[in-house]
Amino acid sequence: MEYLATVTILIAIYVILAASYNLVIGYGGLATVAHPIFFAIGAYVSGLLAIHVGMPPILSVALGAVAAMVASVLLAASSLRVSGDYLLIASLGFQLGLLQLIRNLELTGGPGGLSNIPSTITGAARTPAFLAITIGLAAVSVLGIRAIVRGPYGRAITAMRDEELAFTALGRNAMSMKIVIFAIGCGVAGMAGGVYAYYFQYVSPEQFEVLQSAQILTMVVLGGMATAYGPVVGAVLLLAIPQAITFLNLPQNIMAPLQGIIFTVLVLLFLFLRPTGIMGASESKPRARATEAA
Amino acid sequence: MTQVLRTVDLNKRFGGIVVSDNINITIDRGEILGLIGPNGAGKTSLFNLISGVLRPDSGSIFLNGQAVDTSPLYKRARMGIARTWQNMLLFRTMTVIENLLIAPREYAGESILRVTFGLGSVRSAERQARERALGILDRMGLAGTAESMVTDLPFGQQKLIGLARTLMNDGPLLLLDEPMAGVEGAAYETMQAVVRQEAALGRAVCVVEHNVSFIRDLCSRAVFMANGKILQDGTVEELIASKALTELYFGV
Repeated sequence: MEYLATVTILIAIYVILAASYNLVIGYGGLATVAHPIFFAIGAYVSGLLAIHVGMPPILSVALGAVAAMVASVLLAASSLRVSGDYLLIASLGFQLGLLQLIRNLELTGGPGGLSNIPSTITGAARTPAFLAITIGLAAVSVLGIRAIVRGPYGRAITAMRDEELAFTALGRNAMSMKIVIFAIGCGVAGMAGGVYAYYFQYVSPEQFEVLQSAQILTMVVLGGMATAYGPVVGAVLLLAIPQAITFLNLPQNIMAPLQGIIFTVLVLLFLFLRPTGIMGASESKPRARATEAA
Repeated sequence: MTQVLRTVDLNKRFGGIVVSDNINITIDRGEILGLIGPNGAGKTSLFNLISGVLRPDSGSIFLNGQAVDTSPLYKRARMGIARTWQNMLLFRTMTVIENLLIAPREYAGESILRVTFGLGSVRSAERQARERALGILDRMGLAGTAESMVTDLPFGQQKLIGLARTLMNDGPLLLLDEPMAGVEGAAYETMQAVVRQEAALGRAVCVVEHNVSFIRDLCSRAVFMANGKILQDGTVEELIASKALTELYFGV
């Protein structure tokens, strides 16, 4: 049961990551690969505050999220000003550079990472408590993002993605909207990082590699880009399938490549058969819009 | 007559190509100014300079006597410079009414803080915008299309929606970039009537148009441009009578 609970908590954390990435890349149309580093910023800041300051978890997780948010504004404001495409390159550099810094700083524990993050909840109540917290936060994140993209603000996001020049010429400040969307998405990822740090009590650089963004992106695309519940479906599927396979008791030399093969086949199948993802509007209903599909 | 727009010695070049060569134009309140000339004359570039899509190399733009040179595109729209586009640039995944709701000078839904914490004020602003939008659509005989996807409408109606969206901006200056291109029949009549009404309401209107009869019907004054220069500024009759311009434009 403990194993299942851990998997569920991990899935809930990834639902938060996928949902926030979907806000940035799916709804906002902002191409970034730096999502793992904002997850890392949240995790490290919360972890360090817990270890060195003994700060209460709610406060340190919140500060982790704020730190991720501030970092994301610095990245977005500088790169979006140059051009939208520049964000992709800048985010890659930011991701690789900052992770390298984390790997080499003494403060962050270097390549060995940060261990001994204090467990605030102990004993038998720990797992149920974290289950409730992570699932609750996942629900709040998914529904919160859904609320953002549905109302008048979401209409503006859709219009901006459709035709940015006309949008701006109507008096809308596309630049500041992009920065805000990016900041919200990255801040939520930072919050996920904080919870992750408290639950696993250990964070290390290799948990936040750039390849993580490929995994989170796969969740978003498979579930359905720019749909409210797509990231949930994507995160559950992509994390549950590998866990389910481990029950098949296959030898390790088959198991390892099998997971990669399954992911690749899934992505290819979806690209060809259902590019809008599981929760996305089907091809036969071109009238359905992003906001409606949500 | 109150002067709404004045450009002073506007210059813009892209490498060796001069798109705007010392352009000085003025448009008064209630006036419909025609802007004609061959393709590549710099008509759309002039719109881009006035609305803020392009920055001039030198020169100034005044709206109601106030310089707008340092204001970016979105701020100029909020100051009341409203424009349409040759190829409409509608928000294609949205309905007609949604296209219009985005477009008031001040959009309540633009601020995440206001949307999150000031729900009441957003709701009333939305209600007002919706009423206004339906009113504009009604004037064009398009009230029935409000909930249709813009891409489902015929081309002429899409052109009208492009104008309707721009009219949500109730500012003093209206720039129309080839409103009639590809438009015929009922939409043509509607377009003319609406442009006339807007001018009658006191707006300064500038129309780039190849359809000379549309210009002749609507404008008392027109400007002829070629190679980034203003060659003549006068009544439409004068322009049409000018042999040199007719040769340049119509190649006859």
